[in-house]
Amino acid sequence: MSFLQVQELARRYGATTVFERVSFTIEKGEFVCIIGHSGCGKTTILNILAGLDTASAGTVIMDNREVAGPSLERGVVFQGHALMPWLTAMGNIAFAVRSRWPNWNHIQVQTHCQKFIDMVGLTGAEHKKPAELSGGMKQRVGIARAFAIQPKMLLLDEPFGALDALTRGTIQDELLRICEATRQTVFMITHDVDEAILLADRILLMSNGPGACVAEIVENPLPKPRDRHSIHHDPQYYRVRNHLVDFLVNRSKRYQSGELGNRGQAPISAKIVNLRH
Amino acid sequence: MSHDLDEQRILETAVLRALVPQGDRRRKFLRAVGVSSAGAALASFFPLGALTAMAQQKAKPERAELKIGFIPITCATPLIMADPLGFYREQGLKVSLIKTAGWALIRDKMLNKEHDASHFLSPMPLAISMGLGSAQQPMRVMTVQNINGQAITLHVKHKDKRDPKEWKGFRFAVPFDYSMHNFLLRYYVAEHGLDPDTDIQIRVTPPPEMVANLRAGNIDGYLGPDPFNQRAVYDEVGFIHLLSKELWNGHPCCAFGTSEAFIKENPNTFAALFRAVLSAARMAREPRNRPLIAKVISPPNYLNQPETVVEQVLTGKFADGLGNVKNVPDRADFDPFPWQSMAVWILTQMKRWGYVKGDVNYQQIAEQVFLVTDARKYMAELEMKAPASSYARVRIMGKEFDPSEPEKYLASFAVKKAV
Amino acid sequence: MSGKALSLAAALLSLLFLGIFLAIWHVATVPKAQSQAPVDEYAKLLGKGAKQAEGFPTLAQLGEAAAVQLTDPFYDRGANDKGIGIQLGHSLARVGAGYALAILFAVPLGFLIGMSPLLYRALNPYIQLLKPISPLAWMPIALYTIRDSSISGVFVIFICSVWPMLINTAFGVASVRRDWLNVARTLEVRPLRKAFAVILPAAAPTILTGMRISIGIAWLVIVAAEMLVGGTGIGYFVWNEWNNLNLTNVIFAILVIGVVGMVLDFLIGRLQAAVTYVE
Repeated sequence: MSFLQVQELARRYGATTVFERVSFTIEKGEFVCIIGHSGCGKTTILNILAGLDTASAGTVIMDNREVAGPSLERGVVFQGHALMPWLTAMGNIAFAVRSRWPNWNHIQVQTHCQKFIDMVGLTGAEHKKPAELSGGMKQRVGIARAFAIQPKMLLLDEPFGALDALTRGTIQDELLRICEATRQTVFMITHDVDEAILLADRILLMSNGPGACVAEIVENPLPKPRDRHSIHHDPQYYRVRNHLVDFLVNRSKRYQSGELGNRGQAPISAKIVNLRH
Repeated sequence: MSHDLDEQRILETAVLRALVPQGDRRRKFLRAVGVSSAGAALASFFPLGALTAMAQQKAKPERAELKIGFIPITCATPLIMADPLGFYREQGLKVSLIKTAGWALIRDKMLNKEHDASHFLSPMPLAISMGLGSAQQPMRVMTVQNINGQAITLHVKHKDKRDPKEWKGFRFAVPFDYSMHNFLLRYYVAEHGLDPDTDIQIRVTPPPEMVANLRAGNIDGYLGPDPFNQRAVYDEVGFIHLLSKELWNGHPCCAFGTSEAFIKENPNTFAALFRAVLSAARMAREPRNRPLIAKVISPPNYLNQPETVVEQVLTGKFADGLGNVKNVPDRADFDPFPWQSMAVWILTQMKRWGYVKGDVNYQQIAEQVFLVTDARKYMAELEMKAPASSYARVRIMGKEFDPSEPEKYLASFAVKKAV
Repeated sequence: MSGKALSLAAALLSLLFLGIFLAIWHVATVPKAQSQAPVDEYAKLLGKGAKQAEGFPTLAQLGEAAAVQLTDPFYDRGANDKGIGIQLGHSLARVGAGYALAILFAVPLGFLIGMSPLLYRALNPYIQLLKPISPLAWMPIALYTIRDSSISGVFVIFICSVWPMLINTAFGVASVRRDWLNVARTLEVRPLRKAFAVILPAAAPTILTGMRISIGIAWLVIVAAEMLVGGTGIGYFVWNEWNNLNLTNVIFAILVIGVVGMVLDFLIGRLQAAVTYVE
């Protein structure tokens, strides 16, 4: 039984269908990315997984229990960092830690938080308020906060979208390192194809909305551990990359018209693509 | 007998305190002259002996600490001077005189029992007992505070318009609807052929604001209480057109009273208050005491006016605003007797101007509200002369008022509110 | 201009304005040459030679009056004549009571209204109806029903200063960023903890802005209320001096009222700065 099972998920607003017949699974310890154009409903899927939104149809089952609302077992890193500006970095993380373990005393909370501050490379900045931190640092606090509650699954909504390329690279490396160390189950939304190839074990490709679906599920052929500096030297890199870019540029819109998949209907299951040679 | 001396001493100290307010100078004076000779000197001026005797006969008041409301005008002289000159103290009462912001508040604070007794305009206890203009509660007049002592003051620019016939369109101020000022002003202009409701404007204005309004030109004149008539002269904005004693010599103005409930619950306190205020009135009637009284009631705690203004009002030697020094010793007087005929007159005027409608049982109300019997009793105790009858015929602006025929009197007026 | 230079320049400019204002005052109130007419009896009765010249007080007279009041601020010469220190004490006590009551009422109710659009819509008409009513209009109603002038004064302060706090609290609570509320949801934060740990700090700057407006209104109202009701307080002091047509003391009292109002605003301002955050 997969750790996370999404079955026939659909979201409709009145007559408009954002997406439908979305099904996929995630195994424990797996890092899954989802890519698609704006408006296909990626964030909506994430919100449903997080329990912040409810589906119009379909089920989400995590660890053999149906997802019915938000839970500490599913940590979220929001697109805007969503840090509370009146708390310090340490304070923000501590708020989450106290939510998870309300009976811990002050020292326990402090020590636990410090671990995660160090983990994201923010040692020395823990007593600063968000206004005093750069965009990258704020996002790191968000990540630390999500990791600190040690959730069963981590949901990330385009966490690096607002950062510049340099910072993005650094934090991607850290996330990669942390996930390898902790074997965290992760579901992440991204626009960045290279990022997906670097981080994900499997990549979900969503067709264009409205009426979107998960068109393809691509297995990442590049071996782990991956390194951002050398990954593009792997001969499979550009094959995977081209496939993904081609999807985004060409194929994603052809599912709407019914050209690909069943005429007028979303495919019953996504095409699994294995690009290994 | 030492008990006697103690009480006497208390009174002397109160009087001495009033004469020489500065403590160190007083002590120097006493040291120089000696306490007993100071006492003897004072006793020759003040009836301390009689008062001491009175003080011994009282039964203990149920409540010693009282709050009495007042408006800072010279009408309230007896009840005000009773504080610094020790008249309350000698009756065993500890009185806080509370300066109140206006007549409406005077009424409200008596209605909600925040004050125990109060300075009133004479018509007010009648109005309140009849439920006119407020909730109904039986109020009683113990003494009349003052007679005469008001004036019609006009703006200096009107010094050539002394004939009321020229006052069409003028704006006047009075302190309150239920006041002698309102009734006397209406009576006066009506006698000169003007209808007070249509030919002139009458506004209610608190006395202290009368001078300011006059200066600003908001009003052309007022019939108001002193010291504000004299103050207008002092500030060179107005002149005194007519003293109220020239309208009705001996007219009542303000009263001192309390609620029927208070009297029933605190008969001894009531008696003590009565005695205190009567004693003060007695002292106030003597012209030679007036300068001293002016001195003690002028400070900020009481009237808060320049002493010379108050002195001019009380002694009757005053500047009239037109360059003349006048001498009218009975400009203001303090006869405490609550003539029931005064109550009847007030009731006829209230009916005349439509403040009360329907049949009025003049005699019954007058006798209920104006406590003549009690006044007589306490005046007798204090060896003050009280008139034999409770009703008197008077001449008001040349016209006779017979209190036994109120309806006839009312019907005899040409100008009155259309029914 | 650098921060320090700006402060210095502002201070100098302020002093310059003050200087110009005082100069105008002085020139306008310079006493006209006293007429050389003999001081006869009539003139004496009019107080010539003894009292101040007619009209607006000069700066010197104001200074003198201020000195007299400030050197002995706590004198007590009777129920109706107390020093300015005592009067201010009475006023501040009334303000304190009314303002505290207003906070106790406004913040919790504002919270509820902010969190419930239904309640907001239902109560809004009444709030808008009661908000513009002047304290001078409330006073007679209060006196009539409450029957105690001191408590009436406190009530009038309450009813006039509660609205900015109520409205601002409701607005602050309703405008808490969705993101933070979502964070609280994903962390399974219980409603009470959410109210105190997320909503309250988020809404605090707006709430304190409301409190700052309210303290200004409360101080304004107490002066008006005391002028109506009398007894004690700085408003009563103004009224008593007004009765004596003592413009000098009235002006002095107005300055005192202004200074105290400024201090109160400053104190709440410091509180406001303490809870303000940068997003």
